[in-house]
Amino acid sequence: MANLKDIQRQIKSVSNTQKTTRAMKLVSTAKLRRAEELARRSRLYAVKMNQVIAEIAGRIKCSKIGGIDNRCFAKIENPKVVDIIFVTADKGLCGGFNIQTIKAVKKLLKEYKSQNVKVRLRGIGKKGVEFFKYNEVELFDSVIDLSSKPDKARSDKFIAASIEDYKDGKIDGLHIIYNGFKNMMTQELHVNKLLPVDSDQYECEETQSSMLEIEAQDEEHMLDSLVNRYVEYAIYYALIDSVAAEHSARMQAMETATSNAKDMVKSLKVKFNKARQAAITTELIEIISGVESMK
Amino acid sequence: MDTLKLEILTPNGLIYDGEAMSVTLPGEEGEFGVLANHSSISTLLEAGVIDIEKEDKSVESILISWGVVNVDEKKVIVLVEGAVAIRGESESAIAQALGEAKELISSIADSNPAIASVSAKIESAAKRLI
Repeated sequence: MANLKDIQRQIKSVSNTQKTTRAMKLVSTAKLRRAEELARRSRLYAVKMNQVIAEIAGRIKCSKIGGIDNRCFAKIENPKVVDIIFVTADKGLCGGFNIQTIKAVKKLLKEYKSQNVKVRLRGIGKKGVEFFKYNEVELFDSVIDLSSKPDKARSDKFIAASIEDYKDGKIDGLHIIYNGFKNMMTQELHVNKLLPVDSDQYECEETQSSMLEIEAQDEEHMLDSLVNRYVEYAIYYALIDSVAAEHSARMQAMETATSNAKDMVKSLKVKFNKARQAAITTELIEIISGVESMK
Repeated sequence: MDTLKLEILTPNGLIYDGEAMSVTLPGEEGEFGVLANHSSISTLLEAGVIDIEKEDKSVESILISWGVVNVDEKKVIVLVEGAVAIRGESESAIAQALGEAKELISSIADSNPAIASVSAKIESAAKRLI
C-alpha cells in the first residue's frame, strides 16, 4: 500500500498542474478572440486578392497575342531550385499544431528530393526552426518571434529576398506551408504555391472577353508590383491565420490537459481514501488484538 | 441607366460593397471613370480619392493609399492597402473621418507632390457632406 503522504503530495502536484493548464487555456481563449477577429477581417481581402491574381494569370494564359512575358506568370518546366517557407509557432504546448506543419514540410522536401530539385528552406517560428536544426537539415534563412507577433513590415522584408531571387531567376518556385485557422476546434494545413502563379485551373472561354487591357508601358511595372503585393500579403495573411490557429490549438490542448488532470486527481483521491481506510483498519486490529492478549 | 457592382476591400475588411452609377478612380496614369459594362481592365491605383456616384446621385468619397483595380463587364473590385471613407452621420463623425484621412495621406505621401491636391479633394468632399 502506497504511503499516505506520497499520495497526498501527488494530488497536490497534479492539482497545481491543473491550475496552470486552466490558466493557460484562459489566456489562449482571450488571445484567440483577438487573433481570430484580425484573421476574419483580412480573409476577404486575401481571397479577393487571390481571385484577381488568378484571373489575371488566366487572361495572360488565354491571350497569347498579348506577348506578356513575366516570369511570375510563366510556366516553369523542370525547376532547379525552389524556396519553401514554413510558419510554425514560437511556443509549444499546442498539441499537434507544429508537428503537422513540420510533417508537411518534410513530405514536400522528400518529393522535391526525388525529382532532384534543390530546396531552400526558409523558416518562420522558433519551433520549426529548432526542429530542423536539431535534425541537421540545413535552413537557408530563418526568423524567430515573427510568427507570434505578425508585423507587416518585417514579413515584407523577409519575403522580399525570395521575390527578388525569383525574378532574377535564382529560384524557380515559391511555396508556403502553414497551419491555418478553420474554426475553434480544427486547424487546416495549407500548402500553397505562390510563384509561379498557377493558371491551370483557369479555363479559357471563348464567350468571355479574354483580353487583358493594361497600358502598354505600364504592363511590366503593373504586374511586377501586383505580384509583390500579392506575395507579401499572402505571407502576412499566413502569419495572422497561423496565430489564430495556434491559439485555438493551444486552447484545445490545455482543455484536454485540464480534464486529464481532473481525472487523475479523482483516481488519486480514491486511492488515498482506500489507503487511509486500510491504515485505520490496521490500527483497529492492532488495538483489538492488543486488548485480546491482555485478557 | 445600368449600375455596376462595386467592392472596395482593405486588409481590415470591406469598406464599400454595393451598386453604383459610376466610379472615378485615381489610376497611376491619371484619373479615370468607370461606368457599367466597361471592358475588362486591370491597373494600379495611386494615393488619391475614389469618388462613387450612387444610385440616388449622391457622391461618396473614399481616400486610398496604394491599390489595384480589376474591372470586368459585371463588377469592379478595388483592393487597397489603406482606406478611409469620408462619411458619417454627424458633423463630428465627418470631422473625425477627415482627421483620419489626413493622417493616412501624411503617412503615405510625403514624397508625392500630389498630396496638396488630395487633401484639397477630401476637404471639399467633407464640406459637401456638412
